[in-house]
Amino acid sequence: MILVKELSVERSNKKIFENINLSLGSGKIVLLKGKNGSGKTTLLKTIINIIEPSSGSIYWKGKPLKKNLYDYYNHITYIGDKTTSLRQLSVKENINIWKKIFLSKTSKSQIKNILKTMRLDRYLNQKVNELSFGETKKLELLRLILEDKKIWILDEPLSNLDEETIDILAQTFQDHRSKEGSIIFSSHQNSEIGVSEEIRL
Amino acid sequence: MLFFNKIIYFYYREYKLNLSGFQDILTNIIFFFLSIFIFIFSIGPDKETISNIGLGIVWTLLLLSSTLSLRKFYQDDFESGNLLILHLNGFSFGFIAILKTLSHFFFVQVPFLISLPIASILLNIASDKLIYLFSSFAIGSLILSCLGSISSSMNLMNQKNFLLGSVIVMMLSIPVIIFSVGVINFEENFNSLINILFGILLIVFAINPWAGGLCLKLSLENS
Repeated sequence: MILVKELSVERSNKKIFENINLSLGSGKIVLLKGKNGSGKTTLLKTIINIIEPSSGSIYWKGKPLKKNLYDYYNHITYIGDKTTSLRQLSVKENINIWKKIFLSKTSKSQIKNILKTMRLDRYLNQKVNELSFGETKKLELLRLILEDKKIWILDEPLSNLDEETIDILAQTFQDHRSKEGSIIFSSHQNSEIGVSEEIRL
Repeated sequence: MLFFNKIIYFYYREYKLNLSGFQDILTNIIFFFLSIFIFIFSIGPDKETISNIGLGIVWTLLLLSSTLSLRKFYQDDFESGNLLILHLNGFSFGFIAILKTLSHFFFVQVPFLISLPIASILLNIASDKLIYLFSSFAIGSLILSCLGSISSSMNLMNQKNFLLGSVIVMMLSIPVIIFSVGVINFEENFNSLINILFGILLIVFAINPWAGGLCLKLSLENS
């Protein structure tokens, strides 16, 4: 579905990465691995068309990305290094706003189950700024289920998570893969998540 | 229809955010009224002088008060990554600029519009001029919101110097103030001056999604 050909990005005359090739088809999980500053976030932001590449091209369903951008955006969920939940609102209010803005079809009982699995159900009426960083991160990952899109593009989804949540996330990844979904995520740590391809930056 | 629902929920989100940050709106209004009192005390008890310069004071303070809120125009959504998420969910950068401008108008400028009668009593502005003040402010404040959107989006690219955006807004607001005060002082030219104000509004409203959207895109690219 996504094809990246010889992608290079330069910023202020400094090469961030060069000649990256990758393809992300149905049921595929790609891991971007590298040290801090190796360009993982930049590559992910280039894949979602926020950063302009200095050379190379990205294709979506066989067409250049820019010619098919809104269809592409209808199929991707991006979770970056920032937590997009509104800190001054409660967990419940955030979920309601997300559900409405993403036009989510996820049922209430489904959300309730996920919150319970992630042990977030007890914080439902608590404001996000009262949660720990790890809990905020878990809430952020809930967007994957709410947006319910085929392609997940995730920047360091494992950081700040406890082992139990990483296991839940790994299971969620496998479930998504079994539904023909695909995932590209970056990480600088080793994990037990079964990936189809690993790209080192 | 689905996209229309998204817009409604975007404003629901803005409403919730503004409600939780109500103290910011209140601070702006308090700043506005305190500044009026400071002007009154510094000018002295001469009612006629206050009445003559009252309109100028109201407009200057409205401009300064709305400048106070510019910092938060895009900053929170930018820092939390919400701008990007909205963009990935079907809102183009230009459209985000329009939506945020209207949100700024509703949640920041309209409270000022509501408080204008009290301000006009304090500044001894004749009640028959109030309708002119209202109509010029309704258009002028929307112009200020559009200019605020452009300058705040520019600020995202230059976060070290917040004052730059305020300077740009103040500079571009000069014609707005000239024509707005003119609307009230020269009632016989009301129609022509209000049309000029409306013309300025159409120009900045057209430029805003283009300039604001471009700055949002560039700031996300460089973040």
